[in-house]
Amino acid sequence: MRNKIKVFRAMHNLTQEDLASKLGVTRQTILALEKEKYDPSLTLAFRIARYFGVTIEEVFLFE
Amino acid sequence: MKRNVFYLLIGVIALAEVFLFWLSVEMQTPLLIQAAIIGGILVIYLARRLVREPVADERTELIAEKAALKTLEIFLVIFLAVSLGTVVIGFGRSLRFHPEPPFGPPPGPFPNDIPILGRFGMLQLALLCLMVILYVGFRMYYARKYGEWEKDEE
Repeated sequence: MRNKIKVFRAMHNLTQEDLASKLGVTRQTILALEKEKYDPSLTLAFRIARYFGVTIEEVFLFE
Repeated sequence: MKRNVFYLLIGVIALAEVFLFWLSVEMQTPLLIQAAIIGGILVIYLARRLVREPVADERTELIAEKAALKTLEIFLVIFLAVSLGTVVIGFGRSLRFHPEPPFGPPPGPFPNDIPILGRFGMLQLALLCLMVILYVGFRMYYARKYGEWEKDEE
């Protein structure tokens, strides 16, 4: 699954550490998500999308 | 408490446990190491609740879950094989698979059984070590798979 977390994070001027603390996950998880090494749970995916104020489809793309 | 302080505390407790194990053997007091292990785990558990930053999240839990499941799958087979072998050795004589000499030594009193208990403990420790090695190996494999050691671009 592809994602645009890095793009949205840059748009919001956030570091990985900032986003991780906002979402209650480790920084390494944000890094793994951005590198597409890990697919988040539906709950985390919704939380990410909600945090950026967009729909889940705008952040994640199923291939 | 910061996450790194927590990891440091785990290291200190582990070292203290090794020392207490040695002390327990020297003093021949099994209760000391048993209490120390339980106490150490309790301290780690309580300290973990004081860490402000997230120590674990869904990705780390997934890694731990997968590593634990794989370890269990393999260890079940190993443990079954070793246990069955031990049962055969342990009960082989009493089930009279091998006839004893008519005037052989009588069954030993309790103190003679202690070295056997010690060997059994060593066998269990060896199995436990094997389990830990397997778990760490699987944990490293899944951590790598789920991006634990990815290079940071920031």
